Amino acid sequence: MLRETGYAVTAVSLLAVSVAHANQNQLELQQNPEYWATQLGNYQGNRFSELDQINRDNVNELRSVWQFSTGVLRGHEGGPLYVGDGRLYIHTPFPNKVFALDLEDEGRVVWSYEPDQDSRVIPVMCCDTVNRGLAYADGRLFLGQADNTLIALDAESGELLWDVSNGDHTVGETNTMSPLVVHDMVIVGISGGEYGIRGHMTAYNVETGEMVWRGYSTGPDDEVLIDPESTLMLGEPIGEADLGVSTWPEDEWERGGGAPWGWVTYDPDLDLIYYGTGNPGTWNPDQRAVDGEPADNKWAITVFARDPNDGSVKWVYQKVPFDEWDYDGVNENQLIDVEFEGEERKGLAIIDRTGFGFLLDRETGELLVAEKFAPETNWADSYDMETGRPNVNEDYSTFRQGVNVNTTDICPTAMGAKNMQPSAYSPRTGLIYAGINRICMNYEPYETEYVAGQPYVGATLTMMPSPTENGQMEGRMGSFIAWDPVAGETVWEVDERFAVWSGALATAGDLAFYGTLEGHVKAVDIENGEELWRFKTPSGIIGNVNTFMHEGKQYVAVLSGVGGWAGIGLAAGLEDPEEGLGAVGVFSALGDYTKLGGVLTVFALPD
Amino acid sequence: MTVFARFHVVPALFLTLGLASAALADEHRVTGDGPGAFVVEDGKVDPDTYEGYLVYTRACMACHGPDGMGSSFAPNLIRAAERRGWENFAGTIASGREVQPGQVMPSFADDPYVMGNIPNLFSYMRARGEGGLGRGRPQIIESMQEQGEENGDDKAAEEANAKE
Repeated sequence: MLRETGYAVTAVSLLAVSVAHANQNQLELQQNPEYWATQLGNYQGNRFSELDQINRDNVNELRSVWQFSTGVLRGHEGGPLYVGDGRLYIHTPFPNKVFALDLEDEGRVVWSYEPDQDSRVIPVMCCDTVNRGLAYADGRLFLGQADNTLIALDAESGELLWDVSNGDHTVGETNTMSPLVVHDMVIVGISGGEYGIRGHMTAYNVETGEMVWRGYSTGPDDEVLIDPESTLMLGEPIGEADLGVSTWPEDEWERGGGAPWGWVTYDPDLDLIYYGTGNPGTWNPDQRAVDGEPADNKWAITVFARDPNDGSVKWVYQKVPFDEWDYDGVNENQLIDVEFEGEERKGLAIIDRTGFGFLLDRETGELLVAEKFAPETNWADSYDMETGRPNVNEDYSTFRQGVNVNTTDICPTAMGAKNMQPSAYSPRTGLIYAGINRICMNYEPYETEYVAGQPYVGATLTMMPSPTENGQMEGRMGSFIAWDPVAGETVWEVDERFAVWSGALATAGDLAFYGTLEGHVKAVDIENGEELWRFKTPSGIIGNVNTFMHEGKQYVAVLSGVGGWAGIGLAAGLEDPEEGLGAVGVFSALGDYTKLGGVLTVFALPD
Repeated sequence: MTVFARFHVVPALFLTLGLASAALADEHRVTGDGPGAFVVEDGKVDPDTYEGYLVYTRACMACHGPDGMGSSFAPNLIRAAERRGWENFAGTIASGREVQPGQVMPSFADDPYVMGNIPNLFSYMRARGEGGLGRGRPQIIESMQEQGEENGDDKAAEEANAKE
């Protein structure tokens, strides 16, 4: 959907020059430790910076150098990009404004862009009007608008270069994710798992916005882009055709969700992209059973490894076959090289919604490790390492307990033990650092009917803080943890009053950074989690802490602005499970600590 | 506060003959008349109020948070229903409100499911407020269950008609 045909001609003539160029540009930028050129810091999703000007010894002197109000309320996810041109590029939730801010001039607005979007998209966004940020390559910025319009802007001027529609919000499709540029393509998924949409991942040409490929999450193999003879599952070919159809009751795959709305990572050596798909449509498992028995509902809650050139699927791993808890499997796949049982392995680590920390081989999709990082996790006791399937605890199986039965005290909650907040990985320590949620739920499925554009949920749920154990975690709903992905164990843990919903950062300055829902940015000692510095921003933080260097000075920057699912579920507080039935007592209410408002805060050490 | 004047607390003694007296002390029935009438009895509700809860979770909760209590960006609807009254409550659902750019209460005028259930939504909000109904999914009062099923049949018939 080009605005001007004249531009199309120019774009085609440029195409030959830039085919391999975009990829090279993004790779070059992210390999420069002074830049933060992609939302997760690098293609591998590590959110690690080599910069060490700000370090364990001086971080207590870190102070805010300027702040910038975005003028937008509601949840600010994602973070600023810095590509070496003296500007920060930021975005906002709906209406999805984009700002280029002059880093040298206290955030003066160089240009701003505001799309014109149908406001009817707002109420069909399940979990606030969030957006996880911009992508950049070769002088272009890419943004996935709430209304599914993918746009390319000229980074120099803010001028719109092209736009293309990736979905239809009138049937409940929306966009919250940050696209990823790989080769000469910009790759983007879709949201709407609570509206019975059919999820897909799509690649568009960076120059023209023309669609290159689309791979669905459910349905026939030729639309998922699976070849059952060559696509691997647990290291072996899948064998059976069209599991994306046969593992559903009749036609249910057409509204089977599997929305891939999280982060995409990429291995340039293997030339594979990785992402996870969301929940399988309705939250009522009974409507997804086949002949009264659990059915896998493929390929929802599945890690996909795809060839970015044509979308073909190299391997799949379904983390939760037949979801009964909304354990939306979109969490980021950290690409890390590890030593596992004496062998060098190309690993893929996930701090998952389910409360389990996974380690897979990212060449073959074999499952290597599955251990609980959130100890209260009880929906499954463990994973069967041969079949890759969870050993589900029947007491917490909302399907076995039945429709219109309230299954109680399931951990974690549907929000997941970790949601979209991206983790960090330090190659120096070999550990993953992540903000997590310590919240449990009661879940009651009920029969629901599909109506296009209307919620297709079919379960009611109540949330409460995870149970206290030996006096630990009392009054707390979140933690920041250091996780050993190979040993499958937590090395240290810092407990927080609320779920930690911000993206983590690890640096060569022996620091880990994260934000809290009350609005603190914190720096902790990467060795033991000891708090070394904090700053109270004006609103709760669900954005990601990013760092970069400009003219010899290292900066740390973060968007604050409370919201997201946390802002909906926790604003009024949770019921205290320790209180008697019918008690009015409410657990800590987020609304008592923070209010709305988007602000970018930039930090540096004194001159 | 005309709303308050219209509801009354009825001791539920006559319903619970034969139960231990310790249990009786906690049992009570709260009813509200007029638009959004409701019955709350021992934490259970009448079928219409229950329907209001279901509609709330389907259409309202994604913004207004669990149990009508509000979110980071959308107001507490229990208080809103109390302060604004029936006409304003129903009018806002039908017409929507643009509070400011990016903060929008959508109009549900094109949504027959929500439009047909505004009285039930109001019942649920009043039950949560005046009625003292707790959080979470309520149960239907057993003696009113049959009425609920009849209502359900009526609604199914209405929906079928609407689709034709």
